[in-house]
Amino acid sequence: MSLIALFKSGVFLDLYFVKNNRANLVSFLLWPYLMLILMLGAGFLFGSTQSFRSNVGEDVDPIVFFVSSTLIASASLSVMWDVGGAVLLHRWAGTLPYVLLAPYRTSIILVMAYIPRYILWSFIQLAEFLPPLILRKGVDALIIDLPILSVSLIVGMLPLLGFSAIFASILLVTKEESNILSWLNPIILILSGAFYPSYLFPLWARVISQALPTTHTFELARLSALMSAPGVREVILIIGILLGMSALYNALSYTMLGKAEERALGSGSI
Amino acid sequence: MIKAIIWLHVLRFWRLRYSFLNMIVSNAMWVLLLILGVLLFVPRSQLPYALKSAYWTIACWSVISSFSSIVGGWTNFFISLGMVEEHMLRGISPFLVISGRLVVASLVSVVTIIFMGALVQSLFSIPLFDIRPEIALFSFTLVSVESLLYSLLVSAISMRSSISEQFLEILNFAVIGILIVPISVIPEGLRIFYLSIPYVAPAYILKVASGSEVPDLLIIATAISIIEAIAFLLIALLAVRAAESHIRRNGARAIGFY
Repeated sequence: MSLIALFKSGVFLDLYFVKNNRANLVSFLLWPYLMLILMLGAGFLFGSTQSFRSNVGEDVDPIVFFVSSTLIASASLSVMWDVGGAVLLHRWAGTLPYVLLAPYRTSIILVMAYIPRYILWSFIQLAEFLPPLILRKGVDALIIDLPILSVSLIVGMLPLLGFSAIFASILLVTKEESNILSWLNPIILILSGAFYPSYLFPLWARVISQALPTTHTFELARLSALMSAPGVREVILIIGILLGMSALYNALSYTMLGKAEERALGSGSI
Repeated sequence: MIKAIIWLHVLRFWRLRYSFLNMIVSNAMWVLLLILGVLLFVPRSQLPYALKSAYWTIACWSVISSFSSIVGGWTNFFISLGMVEEHMLRGISPFLVISGRLVVASLVSVVTIIFMGALVQSLFSIPLFDIRPEIALFSFTLVSVESLLYSLLVSAISMRSSISEQFLEILNFAVIGILIVPISVIPEGLRIFYLSIPYVAPAYILKVASGSEVPDLLIIATAISIIEAIAFLLIALLAVRAAESHIRRNGARAIGFY
């Protein structure tokens, strides 16, 4: 079984999932907009754009700010749940023993089978959000904003894959049948400054947020919300941080998931 | 029998305590994430009013959401275990067992609301529990009754036809969008119509208890809430009876939620 076969199986798994779960597809397409409408609707009911700009401390468009935040939040959640929680899904389906006994390391299988799904869905969501982006900033602005958002989705995924695989290793050694770590997902989003910029947090929260890959992905994506063009140096710096974190978290997850796999096989906890 | 049903749900609650703890913390954190986003729009001077109004609306919605997922959503599990026939053969209504989830849903909702409130209060130093407790309790009772009956209705339907869990979640989410609207922004002539939307009247009573709404329509809202609860009760009873009779004649189809 080659790595390409793993990748291909991920593609087919997703295509057939969509084919057989139309309700899931519709809800997937609706959720980001529902979230966005609720946040913006409630925000404008209780406040205004002026207060938003004054609270954020930057000249940004609130709608584009929340569009980019919602896009990255849903993409990050997808990685955290689908890679981190994949162990549980395999356990529920009874396929975990096959994954553990397969010739490839569990971390490789989880990541390779997931990449097609991530690319497909995150870019469908990006396309879904194009109308509000065009309405707010015009077609010309897409020349800059679209590459920024695409790069955020791709480069931001790299460290998050390793980061989420670390959670998978914890779920592999715990004997709970439900996802007892799902409470970490909203905490990670809060500390990453998903809908409330992390630079407005107290110092302790800012320190934690700097260690989270999602913080930098949000920062990169939100450059598209600036009324002026973002600086190239800033973009390159954030990409550099994300690539550095990719090396760190993926190396860490490879080791941790390997240990967890050995422990699960040794104790028969699969 | 009631004692046995309550014992079953308390025992399961204890057995899956980490899962419920995870649900409570998770719910509170999602709410915090949402509130933080909304507060970015609010000028500092308006913060106490906006925070109170948003928090108590979300608290009300979290009861509705917890009940529909913990009571209604459990039907799938109950059907797939083959428990519907087992209970009916012994002369026990499966819906009575499902209603026992009220214990779990109430526990999860109460702890979530307290934990969520304490968290938001400590972050923003704005007193959220400075409310009229008798009115708040009355409102929560009404919301819980309506939510339980709605969940039973959904359960009864799911015994005969498939129900998409995703669409129920979307419906749940749409409810918060309706509840969060302050009554002051609704034109005067449409306010009673607005209060007649399911869950809106009890949510308004709760906002009155917290001081984030004026109590002008309190009596009308109370009357609407009670009429609504009775209507929910009648509809749920009819649906439950129809589902039971259908199962006796045709057997459980094990459809539930998907």
